[in-house]
Amino acid sequence: MFLLPPLARAQSVSVSGKVLSAEDESPLIGATVQIQGSNQGAFTDENGQFRLSVPALGTRLEVRYYGFLTTEVTVASEEALTILLEPSVSTVDEVVVVGYGTQKRSQITGAVSAITADEINENKVLRVEQALQGRAAGVQVSQNSGSPGSALTVRIRGIGTINNSDPLYLVDGVIVNGLDFLNPSDIASISVLKDAASTAIYGTQGANGVVLITTKSGKFVQKAEVSYGGYYGVQSPWKLLNLLNSEEYAILQNEARIAAGLPIRPEFANPASLGEGTDWQGAVFTDAPMMSHQLSINGGSERSTYALSGNYFAQEGIVGGEKSAFDRITLRFNNQNQLNDRISVGTRLNFTRLSRNQLPENNEFSTPMIRAINLDPTSPIQDDEGNYLPSRYLDTDIFNPVNQMANTFSVFSSDRVVASLVGEWKILDNLTFSTTYSADYTYAIVDDFAPSYFLSINDQRPINSVVKQHLEWKNWQWDNLLTYLPELGEKHDMSILLGTSARTETSSYTGAGRDNLRFNDPFYAYLDNGDINRTGQFSYGGVGENSLLSYFGRVNYDFVGKYQIGATMRVDGSSNFGVNNRYGYFPSVSAGWIVSEEAFLSSVEAINFLKVRASWGRNGNQRIPAFQYISLISTGTNGNGNGGSYSYHFGPGQEIVTGSAPSVRPNPDIQWETSTQFDIGIDVGLLNDKLYFTADYYVKTTEDMLVNIPALGHVGALNAFVNAGTVRNTGLELSGEFRQLEGAWTWSLGGNIAFLTNELTSLGNGGTPIPTGFLQQANGFVARTDIGNPIGSFYGFETDGIFQDAEEVANHAFQSAKTAPGDLRYVDQNGDDVINDLDRTYIGNPTPDFTYGMTGNLAYGGFDLSVFVQGVQGNDIYRGFTRLDFENVNVPVSRLNRWTGPGTSDTEPRVVVGDPNQNARVSDYFIEDGSFLRIKTVQLGYKLPTIVTQALRVKQVRAYVSGQNVFTFTQYSGLDPEIGTRGALEIGIDRGFYPQPRIWLGGIDITFQ
Amino acid sequence: MKRYILIGAVLAAGCQGFLDKQPLTQVTTDNFYQTEAQALEALFAAYSTLQYDGQLSPSGHFRWFWGDIVSDDSEKGGSGPNDVASLARFENFEGLASSELVAAEWQAAYDGVYYANVVLENVPNIDMNPFLQAQILGEARFIRAYMYYNLVTMFGGVPLVEKVLAPSEDLLPRATEAEVWAFIESDLTTAIPSLMLRSQMQPEDVGRITKGSAQALLQRAYAWQEKWAQALEMGQAVIASNEYQLVANYGSIFTLAGENGPESVFEIQFMNRSNGDWGRFEEGNLSNVFQRARGEFGGYGFNIPTQDLVDEFEANDPRLGYTVFQVGETMGDRGVFSLDRTGYPYLYYSRKYFINRSEEAPTGDPNVNGPGNDRVIRFADVLLLTAEAAYETGNEVLARSLVNQVRERARNGVAGILPDVTATGADLLEAIYHERRVELAMEGHRFFDLVRTGRAGSVMRSKGFNFIDGTHEKFPVPLQEIQLSNGTLTQNPGY
Repeated sequence: MFLLPPLARAQSVSVSGKVLSAEDESPLIGATVQIQGSNQGAFTDENGQFRLSVPALGTRLEVRYYGFLTTEVTVASEEALTILLEPSVSTVDEVVVVGYGTQKRSQITGAVSAITADEINENKVLRVEQALQGRAAGVQVSQNSGSPGSALTVRIRGIGTINNSDPLYLVDGVIVNGLDFLNPSDIASISVLKDAASTAIYGTQGANGVVLITTKSGKFVQKAEVSYGGYYGVQSPWKLLNLLNSEEYAILQNEARIAAGLPIRPEFANPASLGEGTDWQGAVFTDAPMMSHQLSINGGSERSTYALSGNYFAQEGIVGGEKSAFDRITLRFNNQNQLNDRISVGTRLNFTRLSRNQLPENNEFSTPMIRAINLDPTSPIQDDEGNYLPSRYLDTDIFNPVNQMANTFSVFSSDRVVASLVGEWKILDNLTFSTTYSADYTYAIVDDFAPSYFLSINDQRPINSVVKQHLEWKNWQWDNLLTYLPELGEKHDMSILLGTSARTETSSYTGAGRDNLRFNDPFYAYLDNGDINRTGQFSYGGVGENSLLSYFGRVNYDFVGKYQIGATMRVDGSSNFGVNNRYGYFPSVSAGWIVSEEAFLSSVEAINFLKVRASWGRNGNQRIPAFQYISLISTGTNGNGNGGSYSYHFGPGQEIVTGSAPSVRPNPDIQWETSTQFDIGIDVGLLNDKLYFTADYYVKTTEDMLVNIPALGHVGALNAFVNAGTVRNTGLELSGEFRQLEGAWTWSLGGNIAFLTNELTSLGNGGTPIPTGFLQQANGFVARTDIGNPIGSFYGFETDGIFQDAEEVANHAFQSAKTAPGDLRYVDQNGDDVINDLDRTYIGNPTPDFTYGMTGNLAYGGFDLSVFVQGVQGNDIYRGFTRLDFENVNVPVSRLNRWTGPGTSDTEPRVVVGDPNQNARVSDYFIEDGSFLRIKTVQLGYKLPTIVTQALRVKQVRAYVSGQNVFTFTQYSGLDPEIGTRGALEIGIDRGFYPQPRIWLGGIDITFQ
Repeated sequence: MKRYILIGAVLAAGCQGFLDKQPLTQVTTDNFYQTEAQALEALFAAYSTLQYDGQLSPSGHFRWFWGDIVSDDSEKGGSGPNDVASLARFENFEGLASSELVAAEWQAAYDGVYYANVVLENVPNIDMNPFLQAQILGEARFIRAYMYYNLVTMFGGVPLVEKVLAPSEDLLPRATEAEVWAFIESDLTTAIPSLMLRSQMQPEDVGRITKGSAQALLQRAYAWQEKWAQALEMGQAVIASNEYQLVANYGSIFTLAGENGPESVFEIQFMNRSNGDWGRFEEGNLSNVFQRARGEFGGYGFNIPTQDLVDEFEANDPRLGYTVFQVGETMGDRGVFSLDRTGYPYLYYSRKYFINRSEEAPTGDPNVNGPGNDRVIRFADVLLLTAEAAYETGNEVLARSLVNQVRERARNGVAGILPDVTATGADLLEAIYHERRVELAMEGHRFFDLVRTGRAGSVMRSKGFNFIDGTHEKFPVPLQEIQLSNGTLTQNPGY
């Protein structure tokens, strides 16, 4: 002690300040302000103010207040301190948005996952669906494409139907189709309703789960808070395929030709002279910028609140840069006005303008990706004068992608307004009526200009053309709710909800096209510049409409805070069903028991919360094609873009005559698909809620699934859909979080994992397997959906190594007349000594065994670090990105390990022109483990200290750097293991996907005073 | 609370009819089939099934897949063995019932039967010009008969669908081959009196089914059943009608200018309107692009004539040059045929479906579907079949005279080639068969002619194919149909 400089003591300083709630800056009365490591301290007064003498500048103070997080501050000067305390929300006391209302987490008897604005913000998600990825157990989100602005596939508790398995999305209670219009920064919370007790109140729309999104609003009595958030990032491809260079390519080409008895190409006589050749991937992929700027103002008076925000988001693509760019402007205004003690009215208004440049994607014929992967390295991109050149060896599909992108001008742009008016009338203190009318209007334009160009006889477009499409979606919805909280005494807590909802959706479209435009320039790509005298001009237009009328109710009852039961009922009438089956009834019941409130558990200190709950309920899926119940006459003239096939022509003038016919036999009894779900769950809070844990087990069965039982061919007409199939999903979902929010170092670690088994149990009488995923190079379907198997299972030949010599070929079942050593050996499943279609079997499952996500957060002083990891395990991917139906395509370097003689390889077949053994057929040779673990996000942030922000006269400044898709651990050899779906029944087939970029971005968030 | 109930009542009341939506861009069966124009629309839908079926992939109606490629006249071609691999199996007589190609042929034919049945059920109830009404019904019957002809020659006995089926009536067994032939005869016999003569047609109707079309198809039906007397009679009826003549220049038949010419008895119409766009190709002919050389010629290189076919032509037969492109010849305005320019080692390409680039729809698609019609029944075909019927009924003089008409036209005035046939007996029959092969080469007839005349086994085996008698005369019933019918439909022997 004596070493302590005496001067320090003499400098004992007096500190004053105030302690405020960080939430609303209200003073905290009676908060403890203590000198760290001593028992000296003070309490705050009724204004939240305190005064204290501390030994020296640099002393650390610890500030505590019940219900708030303990905070430390350093006394840096003699200036008055302002200490903001963050409220510590216990997990069980969180208020969670549920269907047509909110509930405390502890009172929920269903299975609901909630995601907060903080979690969304942590990630800098580009699209709202990404906020769900890896965050909520049992919600599988897969990216269908890395192309900016592209939609994601969201599956809640598995694939519930062979038809539309998309969940229902509501934003502030309004049903919306698609979330691309929503600015992620505007979101206050997301709830995912998973079990039927939670979703049954959405009746025929809830079978695939429900996602409820609530947007941010202002607070009463709050100073205007202006904030700016912006970031700039660079995206780059995180992986390119390792393909053959020119030398290696020539070696394999020569070998393949010799094996087929053909002379080698003279120009390949000396492969070593050819060198590296063209890097087509390098020519297609690029680094691409992205950025976001957001300005928002929140606040409120005693009678009204407001939240205003504007956001600009722009992202170019890693394929083709601006050729796949996405731009979005969103403006939002939420407000609420308390007219008097009983009546309030509010508005929610969102405007979005977005545009997206589109390149062909996700097929094996025409995408820049498939072309870059397959083009021979010996062909150059362009000549010395910069003119693009055709491939020397490929004349179909696999054309020069750089030229293709230069000649692609396809833009989707839309303006969308989603507006709601909300009125609430407190009729009695415990009886509230609310009404919401909303309109959702979208006007979209698709512009397609195809310029003329010439590369070769096969890759050319002699006549340019333009197509314009105008699309309009007009939806309205009117909800009326009555909430009653009967007073039944202290021990009873009951709430009753009654409601109606009416909704109509109208979509219309108009399109026209002309060709032979006066200018070969996208700037002049308008119909009026087209040639009116040519048959290349066309137009079309039409409209579709559907409506839904619903009545619903809910009763929740809680006895002494321990026992809870709930029941819901919904009646839905839908215009998609015939009069025979127009209305459906969807009930649910649920119960919960808070065991930790019982006396026998109250003595167990470690367990502060324990609840078990169970639920059962029914939902429907009304998303079926319209008018299946009446017999429609189809009419078609060719060339109008409608795919019509009923026309013919006569005479020397070849006058087209239009035909008409009923092509489908109607099903007057058609109705919704019914999904029945049983769920049992447990919620546990340990160590004063530091550790929180939830588990759910469920069985979800979809019956009356709409299937198209193919008519016998000789019927000649198509059958309408019938309600016949059954799918069952069973699963286990676990999630937990540990939070250490006290002390200088605060951290949390959370995770979730979901196990899922999907099985199609019936396709109805006469239901035959549904083949999907036709792949050109295999000349067959890769997947099928059949009874007893997961949806979209891979189906083909099982390989058994490679024939090493002629004797092995002779001793094996007959495969093909020209099968030779070095070819794949297929298993003779039926033992008939011939390998044919009957020997196909199930060779892979694209649905993962489990999906998981983990989040870690760490904060110290002004620094915060978050890491988010996400993965799937046990799914298969079909490697379909090499066009083996062409002899001259490039291949991955793994083909250098091909069989060249006995004993050289038992996995990679020989190369041979003509593929006489059809090694390209659908087989497990092309199946790979698609499991991956991805470090999805890493973010490091720093909040400027108060002393600086005060000097800058701002409230808070946080700067951060963030990485996305930082690292991916996978065995999969393709560009990206995260492969989504194509249609309802095609999963995990890699046709050369647009891969996801790796993103590095830096940003700043400023909150002004 | 009361107010709320009031609001609820207003809402419910306001929603009467709220859920009743009507299709706004389509009519329903309730308000269709009422006018003459609608009768024609119904018929044209049936006509459209003669072209490819846009709902199917592959689209069906590839008569040359079976008639040419499976026979000794041509081989598959394409980009390699995996290009339409299941056709390669049929070519080698290893075809499978699971093949998508037989399924498409089956479906495409029955789609035609269905649309014809829709006409035959609905048009009689329409109040309209009775002559036009009868003609429409006759055309529908022809289309139905033509579809059954395609079916019976490919599959043998098939289910006889005589009307639009209700779902409860779907399970039909296969009728016997004889029953299908009887049904075809009955449809055509009924249709013939109501159909127009070719010469009675207005120019804008060219391409419609005529009396001669139905008579010629009926002649074929008789020939398949070896009802030679009726086949002779029907052939002579077509000849005697004086509606058809052989054109002087054989090559002109296969040009666009030669379409629906004096020799055309029945043609399926195609035009150069559509893209090669796989979604809407029904007005354009896929055969044009499929049979053209690959590489710089912008085709898919299918249906490659064999050396065996080329050798079948007599010395200096001018028809060879109109049937086959050889290396060094000019492929219209697409340039000189060389292996370098096609990129494939094939020495021959099929010529009859060749279309010049300048004749294609200028849509910009390099692989656009062509405007060439399918010449389904030519007058030369009728003459040769009548010759066969004459021979089989003992009238060798008539037989020789008919064959020699065809040869004379082929000579087109050139001396010293294709001398008149003078053979008798079995040699004469061989001469008729030979003439049929070269005259109608690459038009989708060969394999069916071999089967019809009972020579398929011996001829194909003599050329090294593993043809099994009793199996390979027919193609397998699509596996899916057998499965869907729970075995009510039976498979052909050997598949």
